[in-house]
Amino acid sequence: MTNHFGDVVGHSKVIFIIGANSAAANPIGMKHFLQAKDRNNAQLIVVDPVFTKTAAKADHFLRIRTGTDVALVYGLMHVIFKNGWEDKEFIKTRVYGMDEIKAEAMKWTPELTADVTGIPAEQIVQIATILAKTKPATVVWALGITQHSTGTSNTRILPILQLVLGNMGKNGGGCNIIRGHDNVQGSTDMCCLADSLSGYYGLAEGSWKYFAKSWGVDYEWLKGRFAAPEWMQAKGFSLAKWWQGVLQEETTYSSSPVRALWVQGNGITSMSQQVKIQEALDKLDLVVLVDPFVNEAAVLTNRKDDMYLLPAATQFETEGSVTATNRTSQWRSKVVDPLYESKTDHDIMFLFAERFGFYDEYTRAMKMAVKDRELQPVKEEFVWPDDACREIARTIKTIGLGGWTPERLRKHQENWHMFDPLTLEGKGPMKGEYYGLPWPSWDENHPGSPVLYDVNTPVTAGGMGFRNRFGLEHDGVSQLADPSVSVKDSKIAGGYPEITKDNIEQVLGITLTAAEKEKMGANWKVDLSGIINEKCLAAGVAPYGNARARVKVWQFPDPIPKHREPIHSSRPDLVERFPSYDDQKNNFRVDVKFVSEQKAQEWVKDFPTMLVSMRVVNLSGAGMLERTSKYLSHLTPEMFANIHPDLALQYGLRDGDMMWLHAPQGTKIRVKAQYSLTVTPDRIALPYNFAGVMQGVDLSDNYPEGTKPYTIGESSNTITNYGFDIITQIPEYNAGLCRIEKA
Amino acid sequence: MSNGQARMKFYCDTTRCIECFACSVACSEAHELPVGISRRKVVTMHEGIPGKEYSISIACMHCTDAPCEQVCPVDCFYIREDGIVLHDKNKCIGCGYCLYACPFGAPQFPRDGAFGTKGAMDKCTMCAGGPEETNSARERHLYGHNRIAEGKVPICAAVCATNALLVGDAEEVSTIYRKRVSSRGKGA
Repeated sequence: MTNHFGDVVGHSKVIFIIGANSAAANPIGMKHFLQAKDRNNAQLIVVDPVFTKTAAKADHFLRIRTGTDVALVYGLMHVIFKNGWEDKEFIKTRVYGMDEIKAEAMKWTPELTADVTGIPAEQIVQIATILAKTKPATVVWALGITQHSTGTSNTRILPILQLVLGNMGKNGGGCNIIRGHDNVQGSTDMCCLADSLSGYYGLAEGSWKYFAKSWGVDYEWLKGRFAAPEWMQAKGFSLAKWWQGVLQEETTYSSSPVRALWVQGNGITSMSQQVKIQEALDKLDLVVLVDPFVNEAAVLTNRKDDMYLLPAATQFETEGSVTATNRTSQWRSKVVDPLYESKTDHDIMFLFAERFGFYDEYTRAMKMAVKDRELQPVKEEFVWPDDACREIARTIKTIGLGGWTPERLRKHQENWHMFDPLTLEGKGPMKGEYYGLPWPSWDENHPGSPVLYDVNTPVTAGGMGFRNRFGLEHDGVSQLADPSVSVKDSKIAGGYPEITKDNIEQVLGITLTAAEKEKMGANWKVDLSGIINEKCLAAGVAPYGNARARVKVWQFPDPIPKHREPIHSSRPDLVERFPSYDDQKNNFRVDVKFVSEQKAQEWVKDFPTMLVSMRVVNLSGAGMLERTSKYLSHLTPEMFANIHPDLALQYGLRDGDMMWLHAPQGTKIRVKAQYSLTVTPDRIALPYNFAGVMQGVDLSDNYPEGTKPYTIGESSNTITNYGFDIITQIPEYNAGLCRIEKA
Repeated sequence: MSNGQARMKFYCDTTRCIECFACSVACSEAHELPVGISRRKVVTMHEGIPGKEYSISIACMHCTDAPCEQVCPVDCFYIREDGIVLHDKNKCIGCGYCLYACPFGAPQFPRDGAFGTKGAMDKCTMCAGGPEETNSARERHLYGHNRIAEGKVPICAAVCATNALLVGDAEEVSTIYRKRVSSRGKGA
C-alpha cells in the first residue's frame, strides 16, 4: 500500500476496486471504504467477474471477463488521453516512458475494450470520466489482479493509471493493495521467496556479500553451502511449481531432483495443480510439515512413511512484530507459553540449525551491533525477539527499516490510545510519530512515512520522491525527477540520484572526513555504518534518490503492459490477435508453457465455461484452521460452486445437485451446484478453501486420529488450469475454463 | 443523552452490513450455543441483483411492545426497565407461540431429541443473561454470557467489522445513524 486505510477514509473521493473482494477477504478494510462513502460521499467502483459482497456496496459495478484487466485500464486511459484529462504536469516532471503507454492506449477504443472485457462501452466512458474529474481517487486491488499469466502486467498497469491521473504521492490517492492474511506484508518484506534475499536485495553477488557481512559470517563459507557456486545466484524453485523439481516432467534446471520438502506455515493445498502436488508428495524421500494444525498436504498424500508433522506454536504463544498491509509494524505480546509439545517457529529452526551444525552462524548476528560505525560482536547471549528485531532494523536499508527498534515498536503497542486512527499521527508523548512507523522509517528518530512518494512533506517527516532504481538515464533520457520537483525542505533542488559513497560529496555538497570515507559502505543500501543515512536526512534527502517513476520496464518481455488473452481463453478469436507469451525457458528452474498451451487446441470447444475462484468470508487460505471451528464450518458445510440457474439447467442440474467439473489438464472435482445470480451463465465461481476430497475420493482416513476438521471438500485447485505468470510464476487461478457434467 | 431511563435497541445499517457473519459466529462462541441454534442470523436479500442486494443481521429486536410476551401462555417473558426482553427458561414449555408471533424469527428451539421435540426456547438476550443470579454459573449455562452486567457491549456489535450493527440507547443509535445519512447526503 502506498497509502493507508485511514487515509482513504479521510481523503478519497473515488475508490476503484479491481480484483479484490474486501467484504469477504478483509472485512475490516472494507469498513474503511464504507466509512469513506458515508463521510466523503466517496464513489465506490468495483470491477469483478462476479457480483461479490463488495460489489453489492458499489455505486458502479463493472462485470469483467476474466483475464482482461490490462485491456480495461487501457480503455479507461484511452478516454482520459483522448480528452486531454491526464495530469500533464505530473507526467512531464515525475514520469518516464508515458508516450508509449499513450500510444498503446489510443488503440483501445471503448468499442474494442468493450468487446474484449465484456464491459459496455458507455460504462467505460462513464468510469473514465469519473476518474478524471474526481480527485483524489485511490486504486485498490488484491489477488484477482496478481493471479494471472499476465499478473505482472496487471500490477503495473494500475499504478500507471494513477500516474496518468496524477494521484500518486497524494492523500486519498495511491495504490492500496490489500493483503489477505496476517503478516503477508511482513513475509513479503522478508522475501520468503526463491528469488531474493530479505528486503528485496535480490541474489546478486554484492547482495550475498552484504548479507554475509551483516550476519557476521564468511562469504566463502556461505558459498560452500551450495552444491555448486552457480546455484547461489540462481533462483530456486517457486511455491507454484516446486513439484516439477520432483516430477521433472517439464525441463528443470537443478543439481538434482528435489528429494525433501519442508513446509512451515503454508497451506500448499491452496496451490494450483493439486494432482501434481499429490504425485510429488508421494514421490519425495522426506516430507516435513510444521503447523499448529495438521497441514492437509499430509492428508493429500498417500505416503505411509517418512513424513513428519511438527506442532508449531501459534502467535499467542510467542512475541514479536508483524507488518500490516500499510507497511506499519505492530508488536505482539505472548499470551501463554507454547501448549503441550508445540514449539515456536524460531525454536524449531534453532533446534534444526543446531543439528545441522550451523547454529552459531545462524544466530551470530543477533549478538552483534554497530559500534564506532562498524558492525561487531557485542555480547555473548542474544535476547529473543529483541535482537532479531534489531538485526532486521540495521540490515534492511532498501525499504528503510532503520527506525524499527523493539523499544519503539513496544511503545507504539502500549500507547494505541495516543494515535489518531485516521491520520495515524501520535498525540501527547507520541507526538511526531506515525502509528506503527510505516516504512521507510529511515532511522531511530524518523516518524515513518504514511503516504509514499509525497514530495510536499519533508523527508524527515515522511516525504520522498520516487526511488532512483534503474540508472541515471535510459535511451538518453534522464531518470531523475524534473528540476521543478523538489522534496519539501530538501537542500537539493529537483531530482537527485540514489546516494553512493562515490557521489555523496558531490550531490550533498559536503566533504567527508577520511575516517567517514573508510567506514562508509559502497552505497545507501549496504552502508552498515549509517553515515549515508545520517548525512542524507540532515540534508532533507531520501537516500534512495528523487527520480522518475518508469512506466516502461525495458528488461521485461512486455516493456509496457500488453493485453494477452489467458492461457485458456474463452475467446479463441481474440487469442489470434492477443496471444500469450512465447514459451519460457528456465524461470525458477523450470520451463513454462505459454503460447504452446494456449494454442494446443481450441479449449473453449470442450471446456465452455469460465472458471473463477473466490474466497468465502468464513474460511481463509486452504481453510484447515477455520474448518476446525464448528460455527465457521456451519456457514459453509460443504464445498460448492456458484452457478447461474440458466447454465445449470443446460445440464439438468437442480439447485443442490452434485456435478463434476472437468479441467483441460484432465482433472476433475465433484461439487454441489448452488444456484446464484452473482455469476452470469458464462462462468461459475468456486471457493478455494476446501481440501480433504480429491477427484471424488474422500481422504478422511488419511487424517491423523482426532484431527479431521468439521468439513472437508474438493479443492478448487485440483481443476485450476495450467498457467503461470511470466515473471513471478504465480498460478493463473483467476482465469481458466471447465466443463460441467451432471454427477 | 436522553433524560430518564435508556431504552436499549439494535439497529443494523444495511448500507454497511457485508454478510461477514462475525456477529453470528461471535454470538454462538460467546454463549457456547449448540450448532443449529442461531440467536443472530445474517440474511442477504435479492442476492446477485445489482442495486437491490442487501444484507442484514437479525436477532431479537427487543420490541417495545413485544408480541412474544403478549402471546406466551405461561408468561415466561419479562421486559427489563432498559427495554431488554428476556425470558425464563424454567417456565417456558416450548410451545412455539412466540415464534409464530415474532416478526423477526428470533425464537430458537433445540430440536435434537427424538421426533424433533422442542426444548425450552432460546433467543438473543442482548448479552444480558436471564432471571438467575447475575453472572452465576447457572445463568451462564441457561442464557449465556452476561456482558451487560460486566459493563460490556453485546458481543455481536462489539465484533462487527464494519460498524453496521449498532446497539445501545435508542437515542444514541439514531444519532449515529442520522450522522451517517446526513454526511453522505442520501439514503435513509
